[in-house]
Amino acid sequence: MPRLNKRASYLTLLLPAFIIYMAIIIFPILMSFGLSFTEWRRFQMTGFNGLDNYREILSDPVFRRSLWNNTQIMLISVFGQIPLGIVLAYLLHRKWVKGTKFFEFMIFLPITISSVVIALLWNRVFSPVGIDTTFVRMATGNPDYVVKIFENEQFAMIPILGVLLWQHTSLYMVIFLANLQRIPNSVFEAAVIDGAKESTIIFKIVLPALSSVIFTTSVLAISGSLKSFDLVYAMTGGGPVNYTYVMALYLYQHTFTFHNYGKGSAVSIIIVLLSVGLISLVRGIYGKAQKKFE
Amino acid sequence: MKKITLFALVLVLAMSFVTAAGTKEQSSDGTVVLSAYMQIDPANDQYAGHNAVMAAFEEKYPNIKLDIEYASGEAFHQKFQSMAASKQIPDVFTCYGGARTAYVTETGLTLDLTPYLDEAFMNQFASATWLPQGSAGALYMIPPSFAVCHSVYVNTALLEKLGLEYPETFEELLAQVPVIREAGYYPVSMGNKDPWVVNSWLLGTFIERFGGREWILRAAKGEASFTEEPFVKALEIIKTMSEKNVFSPGVNQMSNTEADQEFYQQKSVYLIDAAWRTSAMDSQLPAEQREAIEMRVFPALPGEKYHNTSSAVASEGFGIAKAVEKDKAKLDAALTFIKFYAGEEGASIRAQYGEVPSYNLDLDKIELDIMQKKFVEFSAEYPMGYVFDSIMDGEGVTLLNTDLQAMMMGNGEPAKIAAEYESWVAKNDSNRD
Repeated sequence: MPRLNKRASYLTLLLPAFIIYMAIIIFPILMSFGLSFTEWRRFQMTGFNGLDNYREILSDPVFRRSLWNNTQIMLISVFGQIPLGIVLAYLLHRKWVKGTKFFEFMIFLPITISSVVIALLWNRVFSPVGIDTTFVRMATGNPDYVVKIFENEQFAMIPILGVLLWQHTSLYMVIFLANLQRIPNSVFEAAVIDGAKESTIIFKIVLPALSSVIFTTSVLAISGSLKSFDLVYAMTGGGPVNYTYVMALYLYQHTFTFHNYGKGSAVSIIIVLLSVGLISLVRGIYGKAQKKFE
Repeated sequence: MKKITLFALVLVLAMSFVTAAGTKEQSSDGTVVLSAYMQIDPANDQYAGHNAVMAAFEEKYPNIKLDIEYASGEAFHQKFQSMAASKQIPDVFTCYGGARTAYVTETGLTLDLTPYLDEAFMNQFASATWLPQGSAGALYMIPPSFAVCHSVYVNTALLEKLGLEYPETFEELLAQVPVIREAGYYPVSMGNKDPWVVNSWLLGTFIERFGGREWILRAAKGEASFTEEPFVKALEIIKTMSEKNVFSPGVNQMSNTEADQEFYQQKSVYLIDAAWRTSAMDSQLPAEQREAIEMRVFPALPGEKYHNTSSAVASEGFGIAKAVEKDKAKLDAALTFIKFYAGEEGASIRAQYGEVPSYNLDLDKIELDIMQKKFVEFSAEYPMGYVFDSIMDGEGVTLLNTDLQAMMMGNGEPAKIAAEYESWVAKNDSNRD
């Protein structure tokens, strides 16, 4: 009987958290899932249309471009920001550069600035009437000079990827630096005394010690990449044409501009599925890597 | 005892929440409080006239208080859509007669003003003010003015310096391009980073020139097709302008504001923009420069049927929530406000700040700033056609705008774009329902 009471107490205490979790996370996802099979016209739901929304989305070239652009953001996040964050953190931790505090501050600065402000700052650089463009025009004597890369279908994302790399690397650097500081200095000193090369220290000591953090940051990078919105929206609005469109912009447009809540919900479900799938994949890779290091 | 104290405390807290949750809408002194949501930026020079009207209203009707929340652009619409979805909209709000705020006008949340506007009041306005707004012909707001969406601003000082005159035809404009560029200037500033600009400022006017007002309405309803000449030729003109370098470099990366700045800095001879840019010019440019700016319409297009046209649409006005109808005091207060704003008193004040009100005023009696005066003359001189994107559904227009932008960057053909747009409209546009 007391055991039953204990169980009832646990359940009672869990109930508020469970209700909040259901209301905030599970219910909206289920609602979105249900809505993703509906058709909307003139702000009204007109009925169920099965998988039509998914079919339309997956065959829409704008969505496919958005998916590819999100993939590029994910690649630059996982294979650009994280490795660069590790390198910078390691350089600063081993004090291989003078003025480490200054560099820590300078590298960390971009992440403290709002994405919208960053977008406005970089827009000034790329703008056809900005100071940088005017300077190049004067220096080259070419009055028609503009940053043409945005008008190139293949490479329009590159400036945005560059800004994302610049902005977010600092966050990963700080995370890795904090974790590097948890490794006792005596471990590095012992390795040096034992004649270990720098590469040995990195691959045998540092990376295994950071493996769980690398996994966590990868999850952050993947989920963050799939929902990229603010910087792209403020910097290019997805244009010119649809060259810099991302999935969150596509979702936003169909939901809030075209009032097609069915299609918008279907996009959100696709984003959730992609996110869960990719994070599971990373988890699998991490599990295998962990076994190997052990 | 402790339980009683705790119960009393909870009761007091609950009572205080209930009391706080209700808004005081009519006080004992007869003051009526109206909640209001406006797509207006009171800090912007463009809305100086609005601020003056609000101050005058407050002075004349101290017993009507407006509890106003301001927002602008997409943020305004996002919040308003959420309000509409939860069916909790403010008493008074800004809305459009067209599709842009249909989420609140076409969903039964907005009061049809028709029964509350008598003939004597309506006769004081330009007849276009009372064109039906909703799909069922309702009137959801009183347009306080008209938004003139096409004007060519001319820097006559530069034109004179280059030994040129304002071109009468499109061919003459094209012939000026090498001369202007040779002299180190750009011919036309226009910012199409937000791709609706070329549609709103140019395409509608061009379609009107080739097909006329009736053709646009017929095409919208499906009695004509967007694959026909007026639409295709209008697209061709824009394509030619891009190919012949009429616009400044990077036109599709330049924001509207950046294009304005380029013109203000006298780097370009012409600026294509909406006519309401005059208020910004009056506040930002020296008198000498403003004196040298002329407002014209686009030169004659080859084969055009209608000449010297611009385009205009009823601007957004104030609507009243349908729910207000149940409360007579609030309804009277809301009607008093919107009639004051659009009527003689509000119109006279707004006109002083350069608006051309829908209310019939004798503008000659009002002292206007340099560019505002030119705007008034412009509005009187040129016939106004439809604004294309105010007629057609937003989703299709967005797709068209993207195609237009691609075409201007060399990736699209007018006939193909027209065919794709017609196909979308036939399948989806509400005008074809």
